[in-house]
Amino acid sequence: METIAKDRTELESRRVSSGKRRLIGDRGSHFLKRMEGDTGANIAACYQCERCTNACPVSFYMDVKPHQVIRFIQLGWREELLRSVTIWVCLSCEMCTTYCPNEVAVAETILHLRSLAAQSTIAPREKQLAVFHQTFLDELQRFGRVNEAWLMAALNRKPGILKEKMRSGQLKTEIELGLTLWRKGKLKLLPKRCKAIKEIRGLYRKRQGDRS
Amino acid sequence: MKLAFYPGCSLEGMANDYARSILAVFNHLDITLVEIDDWSCCGATAAHSLSEKMAVVLPARNLAAAEKMGLDIVTPCANCFNRMLFSKVMIQKKIFDVPWTVTGRIQVHEMTRFLARPEMLERIEDRVLKPLNDLKVVCYYGCQMVRPPRLTGFTDYENPMTLDRLATAAGAKVLDWSYKTTCCGASIGIGRRDIQESLTARLLEKARQTGAEAIVVSCPLCQANLDLMQRDRASGHLPVFYFTELLRLAFEADDGAAEWFRMHIADPVPLLRAKDLLR
Repeated sequence: METIAKDRTELESRRVSSGKRRLIGDRGSHFLKRMEGDTGANIAACYQCERCTNACPVSFYMDVKPHQVIRFIQLGWREELLRSVTIWVCLSCEMCTTYCPNEVAVAETILHLRSLAAQSTIAPREKQLAVFHQTFLDELQRFGRVNEAWLMAALNRKPGILKEKMRSGQLKTEIELGLTLWRKGKLKLLPKRCKAIKEIRGLYRKRQGDRS
Repeated sequence: MKLAFYPGCSLEGMANDYARSILAVFNHLDITLVEIDDWSCCGATAAHSLSEKMAVVLPARNLAAAEKMGLDIVTPCANCFNRMLFSKVMIQKKIFDVPWTVTGRIQVHEMTRFLARPEMLERIEDRVLKPLNDLKVVCYYGCQMVRPPRLTGFTDYENPMTLDRLATAAGAKVLDWSYKTTCCGASIGIGRRDIQESLTARLLEKARQTGAEAIVVSCPLCQANLDLMQRDRASGHLPVFYFTELLRLAFEADDGAAEWFRMHIADPVPLLRAKDLLR
């Protein structure tokens, strides 16, 4: 409770100090409409019953709780959401969506915020997770399928990742893990490539074309 | 009977043993599985994290290939199943266009639900040579297979029973527990291992408290996650079986079956020997 209160005061002070306090009339509706249009989620229907937050297995690790995410959208606080830890630690386990009495698609909304954050210039709060998703798609583009060993190797080659893993001691755990997998014959070092890899790469080009 | 089989990337890598047991079980049940020709990855969590369009387009390629074959799809991976259904629904609603023809006339079956249908269960019970008596297990479904119920079509999403029925058919004693569909956190293992470990450790602890000797799963990621979590524990192993491994064991009662389990981290062989299910 205290941390939430602290976060709120921090958000408030940031808002005031930046001198960009928005008028009530300007708040929300534009961002809310856009989010509703993009996700098909009935975001305006949320009455803050907190069932989503209570069902969420990782709400403990979130700075903006699931019900607050929906409220923030109603208020139009886009940057606070894109800058949150929440959008990256969500597991998309769909508990929130399943138990919402008003059929607000909470998980889908959080995922959409994640894709907005990935396309924005705001630095992701969980860098490794953000880089991991991108690496997964890169590997998919390379082979058409994803090989676990190659995926991890590609992830470690991304700038800053290996350094961060060394600092946190994660690298040691991962090497041990890799050895266990190797001993058990679970690691396949030769990736399989789709025959129609050109077709798959074409999809990516089209997607980039769409965006510009 | 013939079905299009979509194994998914995991079954070519870490869950290679799952693939072998699936092929054996379907062979026993006289169902021909035809692997979708040149299938590609469904995009998993990454695609729908970064681009909703790719999350529809990537699985659509496999849907179109299966339509060309004219066969219904069956897939063992919970996430692949979820992503393919999602893609099919989005295409049918005409929210995204895809470069292939997908009419949606073929069905996407989730493997446990397909096998737990009454006529299939009957067939399974007929084929059991040596029931797995005395083996106490809990069944773990995970999240992507049952949720969101509006997409997956599970009506008993709070207490799914498909795996329970299949394990019972194999002769195992299935215990009831409250964590059937609690997420194991596999998708966040890379990046936030602390979160993943706290979720997985709780599942293992609760399974032990229930009195289970093993966990039965159908999702390759759940298996890897629950199994790998036990790699540095000397005592108190809790083997994590793919449900097809149990079915195959009951069907074949093979002396060489110990070999099937060599990819498991928490070694199930001592447990099976103690129960006189393996020699």
